[in-house]
Amino acid sequence: MRKWIGATAAMGMLALGGLAGPAAQAAEPSAPKVIRVGATQAMDSMNPFLAVRLVSSSIHRWMYGYLAVPDSKTLQPSPDLAESWTTSPDGLTWTFKIRSAKWSDGQPITAADAAWTFNKMITDDGAKTANGPAVENFASVTANGQDLTVKLKTPQASMLDNPVPIMPKHAWEKVGDIARYEANEYPAVTSGPYIAVEHKKDQYVKLKANPDYWRGAPKIDELQVIFYDNPAAAIVGLKKGDIDLIGRLAPPDFEALKGDENIVQWNTEGRRATYLQVNHGATTSDNKPIGDGHPALKDPKVRQALHYAIDKQKLVDQVQNGLAKPADGSIVPPMYKDFFWQAEGEKKVSFDVAKANKILDDAGYKKGADGIRTMPDGSRKLQFRFSIHTDAPIEEKLAEYLTGWFKELGITLTTKRLDSSKFTEETGTTALFDIAISGWSVNPDPEEVLATHLCSRRPTASGEGGGTESFYCDPQYEALYQQQLKELDRPKRADIIKKMEERLYTDAPVIALYYPNNLEGYRKDRIAKVTSIPEDKGMLYGGSGYWPFYTLEAVSKDGAAAEDDGSNTGVIVGIVAGVLILIGAGYFLTRRRKTVADDRE
Amino acid sequence: MTISTPPAADAIAEEPARRGLLRYAVAKVGGALLSIAMVIVATFFAFRLLPGDPVRALAQGRNMTPEQLDLERRRLGLDKSLLEQFVQFVNQTVHFDLGTSYEYKRPVLDLIGERIGATLLLTGTALVMAVSLGIWQGARAGWKPGSRFDKFSTGVSLVLWSVPTFWLGLLLLMVFAAGIGPIPGIFPTRGIESVDAPDGFGYVLDVAKHMVLPCLTMVAVVYAQYLLVMRSSVLDEVGQDYVTTARAKGLKDDEIRRRHAVPNALLPTVTLVFMRIGFVVGGAVTVEAIFSWPGLGQLFYEAIRVPDFTLMQGTFLLITVSVILMNTLADVIYHVLDPRVRSA
Repeated sequence: MRKWIGATAAMGMLALGGLAGPAAQAAEPSAPKVIRVGATQAMDSMNPFLAVRLVSSSIHRWMYGYLAVPDSKTLQPSPDLAESWTTSPDGLTWTFKIRSAKWSDGQPITAADAAWTFNKMITDDGAKTANGPAVENFASVTANGQDLTVKLKTPQASMLDNPVPIMPKHAWEKVGDIARYEANEYPAVTSGPYIAVEHKKDQYVKLKANPDYWRGAPKIDELQVIFYDNPAAAIVGLKKGDIDLIGRLAPPDFEALKGDENIVQWNTEGRRATYLQVNHGATTSDNKPIGDGHPALKDPKVRQALHYAIDKQKLVDQVQNGLAKPADGSIVPPMYKDFFWQAEGEKKVSFDVAKANKILDDAGYKKGADGIRTMPDGSRKLQFRFSIHTDAPIEEKLAEYLTGWFKELGITLTTKRLDSSKFTEETGTTALFDIAISGWSVNPDPEEVLATHLCSRRPTASGEGGGTESFYCDPQYEALYQQQLKELDRPKRADIIKKMEERLYTDAPVIALYYPNNLEGYRKDRIAKVTSIPEDKGMLYGGSGYWPFYTLEAVSKDGAAAEDDGSNTGVIVGIVAGVLILIGAGYFLTRRRKTVADDRE
Repeated sequence: MTISTPPAADAIAEEPARRGLLRYAVAKVGGALLSIAMVIVATFFAFRLLPGDPVRALAQGRNMTPEQLDLERRRLGLDKSLLEQFVQFVNQTVHFDLGTSYEYKRPVLDLIGERIGATLLLTGTALVMAVSLGIWQGARAGWKPGSRFDKFSTGVSLVLWSVPTFWLGLLLLMVFAAGIGPIPGIFPTRGIESVDAPDGFGYVLDVAKHMVLPCLTMVAVVYAQYLLVMRSSVLDEVGQDYVTTARAKGLKDDEIRRRHAVPNALLPTVTLVFMRIGFVVGGAVTVEAIFSWPGLGQLFYEAIRVPDFTLMQGTFLLITVSVILMNTLADVIYHVLDPRVRSA
């Protein structure tokens, strides 16, 4: 018995001492340059035809080429796998010249790859899951050598912002049912800067640099994406050095990084706008009223009064910890300089409760004895609901401020908390709301966010379809949208888009509150250089395209100190554990002796 | 002749007892099957009462045309009538087909299979540790109620029991994974293994190292229930006549406790443990979320968020069925272990 315990103790010592193993191993001299990126979301699929999560599309952007990608300086479409393109005068036929480059398995990249990818999506419903709408307007796609011809049904200026990664035909045409294909074969065949070599579900994805990448191989050897289930743990991971970079941080998590000398807090303009969605008389796509919105909100004057009663700077300071920009524009955030519009002079709505009250007084909304205004016909009090998500502290705070300001107008605002699927339903389909919180991440080409306010996006009478962000249906806005679709001259198109933003600002079916900053953090003792997109104070993980991750440079491994630290830790653990086990073993041994003696009594 | 009589008499006496056990077991298993059938029915309808349209939720704010939504609905079988969906669901379930996940577009059974190992490893280890710790401390505490050991161990376990799991987990993570002041951050911040985990024995060590904090969290939060049950049952035994007899025989106090009182007091704990084994499959959503443990809890949580009906149904069925089966097993084992139940 004593021998057995001794052996166990020895094993235990060995085991716990060995815990330091992995840390010590990292100290090998020719260590590859590895950068680890944390993500607070796991991959839903490695198959780009199916993956919808942001983390998945980001990883796919590092693996595959596109027709065009945003330029790292201007964010304008620039050549990627398509090295050049031409458009027919009617804007319906696009011809792309596909670059002579190679897939990571050595096969040449041709127009047939691109044609196969798009045609697969057009013909196979299973392949439409991730990016179906991107080929909705495609009439036909044909390939001839390196020439790809796409014929459109109607002109589409946003053609070059196409979000579909070009897939290798030779590797993917063998796939039977694309809707069920996991794409878990490694190494993946890719054309971008990285090749996925391993994926452990819910744990990590390993990407190796593509040595034959046509722009030149990345400067690091390996990029790892490590999944965390909660942001707090990821922050601990970054501080400890388990990961080197993390993006998409909420203000409190971002502020938790303060004071760490090895961590760079990356705080830049973001791609998102946060706004209020106002039920201004929601209708279905056949123009029948739907929902139970308050009738007062149909009056643009009431919406305007609400707009005047919001102190956006205060919201930024109090709700977003100052990490946002008050919105004097609409749904396109200022980081997109070409397309951003903001109100100036007369048009600009600034915080002015007195003015807001005057607008309501003039429009005939009289205050009752209880201080609450009523409709001019006296039918209903101005009592609105404010729909927000459950468990959203930022939205709760926002609701508190709005309730306070609206009270000064004689308007009661009550907060209605909904879980996310119910929220989406009530504010996007059934219109059972008065005012709701909303927001949208805008792509370098803003067409998609503009389209969310089109008549056609309203739900059908049976509650189908949609994707509206406002139930908006305005002839002027509609006409401008059609106009910008056909305008292939970028500055001219930008002018039309700005007019659309202005229309949304003045008519106020949505009221923009602020543009949240893009908050990220990275370790400067691990990452020597990273180029943001756009290059001038742009985004890293949150940005579109592979530029930041392609340009990553690792700090060369002369930091032996860190490794020594690891081994020391191991030694300490080993010693402590050993001592504990010895004490334990000793205790049991003495006890055993005692009981044996007891039995003998 | 007289010598052979006692065994024969024994055999006669044992026969009805064994038949009784068999009948008891059959009745219990029958009851369990009935429960499972009811769970299957309830699962189907309960999850359809949840608010939210899964197809719309899956669109996740992306633009989808009505045609696409229709297509998606057909693909998921949501275009059929509720009755048709129900018949199909029952038919599949009895054939051990849990359907295809809406979000992952893969068979639910595959998704569960990929994650159940990690969950069983974590919750199983934690259960064994919590039960051992609880029984050991509970037995000692109950044996000398009011002693310093009793006050201390009961107090500590109750404090830990009332601590929110999430808070304790994050605290442990911040102290022992990140390191504070003189305490080095020796444990990993996430997951079940390192990205560059070594092979073979090194891999086992790597996983063990990853398990320390989540396991500790789970044990700390739950061991109080075993301790308290064990303590009170030992307390019941302390005054029993056989204990007095054993003392009179001159047996050491520790010996009486270990050899006589504890085995008698174990019964309620056995029931509790078996019930808990059933829940082991369900994992611990919170602990898995704190330590990014790639198990079932996280899968279930994600499924509710979407909502992914088939995945929710699948995981929910798995959890309830395992609880029912383990309860049945506990009943039967209780019957075997304790003759008093048999005669009652």
